[in-house]
Amino acid sequence: MTEMFSTLYGQNDAQGPPRSSSLGFGPGNPPPPLPPNQVPMAAQMPPQLGDEGPALRKPGAMNEPFYLLRELPVGNELTGNTNLITHYNLEHAYNKFCGKKVKEKLSNFLPELPGMIDWPGTQDGSSLRSLIEKPPVCGNSFSPLTGASLTGFRLHTGPLPEQYRLMHIQPPKKKSKHKHKHNRPQDPIPQETPSDSDPKKKKKKRDDDPDRKKKKKDKKKKKVRLLP
Amino acid sequence: MAEKFDNLEEHLEKFVENIRQMGIIVSDFQPSSQTGLNQKLNYMITGLQDIEKCRQQLHEINIPLEAFEYIDQGRNPQLYTKECLERALAKNEQVKGKIDTMTKFKSLLISELGKVFPEEMTKYKAIHGDDPPS
Repeated sequence: MTEMFSTLYGQNDAQGPPRSSSLGFGPGNPPPPLPPNQVPMAAQMPPQLGDEGPALRKPGAMNEPFYLLRELPVGNELTGNTNLITHYNLEHAYNKFCGKKVKEKLSNFLPELPGMIDWPGTQDGSSLRSLIEKPPVCGNSFSPLTGASLTGFRLHTGPLPEQYRLMHIQPPKKKSKHKHKHNRPQDPIPQETPSDSDPKKKKKKRDDDPDRKKKKKDKKKKKVRLLP
Repeated sequence: MAEKFDNLEEHLEKFVENIRQMGIIVSDFQPSSQTGLNQKLNYMITGLQDIEKCRQQLHEINIPLEAFEYIDQGRNPQLYTKECLERALAKNEQVKGKIDTMTKFKSLLISELGKVFPEEMTKYKAIHGDDPPS
């Protein structure tokens, strides 16, 4: 057993008593301690599995007293020790996005875009993901429509069905709370003014109500005075 | 850089407004609206041509796909920017904590090893210096 072991590693008999095979010289296993007579030089260490020739050691480590002592890695100037947001001048951006509350809906980011844009794009097939997965045909030039091409765009007179009328409708604003605003798609006329005027009308009504209450109270007081 | 975006934004706004007006015409179509509709259709094509011209100036712009997911869900894409910044700051703090902990451990280890193995530590410091880079 020891003879096979020695032939595998090319161990000479002159190096001393044969080492125990139970310790093993597999990759990753430390070599057994050398006898005190041996000089602790790397050249006399038996080669390990997978090595080509003598044991691999960095030249700088050959003469050092510490085993496997390597050079320290070159330190980077920019590490996690520095505030990277300050380093890249992103303080303003951080305060803008994280200091204030960012609104959730897409219509808050694009308030002037008509239509119901807060709905998921997968519902009506208008998602950007589908545009990436199935890109449209590009490269052709855009040429204006001729008279013959325009004949295909002759439409019948009359109103559209309700389900196709959403394109020109402005997204509902948060100020409105009444349910009547959801019936707006029925109106063919663009509803920029009604959405603005309704809260004003309601504000006028609210303003009138306390005035009306005061007037009512004054009337009651006058009636009470007159009665006796 | 901002001028390229302003130019594109202007063309997109005009395009969207043109489409919106076409929607109004179509929603309650009358025979007299045909010429206006034809005109709007040609405006739409010129709008696409203008947007196509803007594309050449913006071919180096890269947009993360995660921002597209926010838009597809009907959410504000600024939330993506916010979450990126928050994650970056959290990771920065985490790594800084690790660096600080490892630095303290290193100094403590060197001091304790110096007490137990003074000769070896003097040799070590002679090799790597008294204040090795951390």
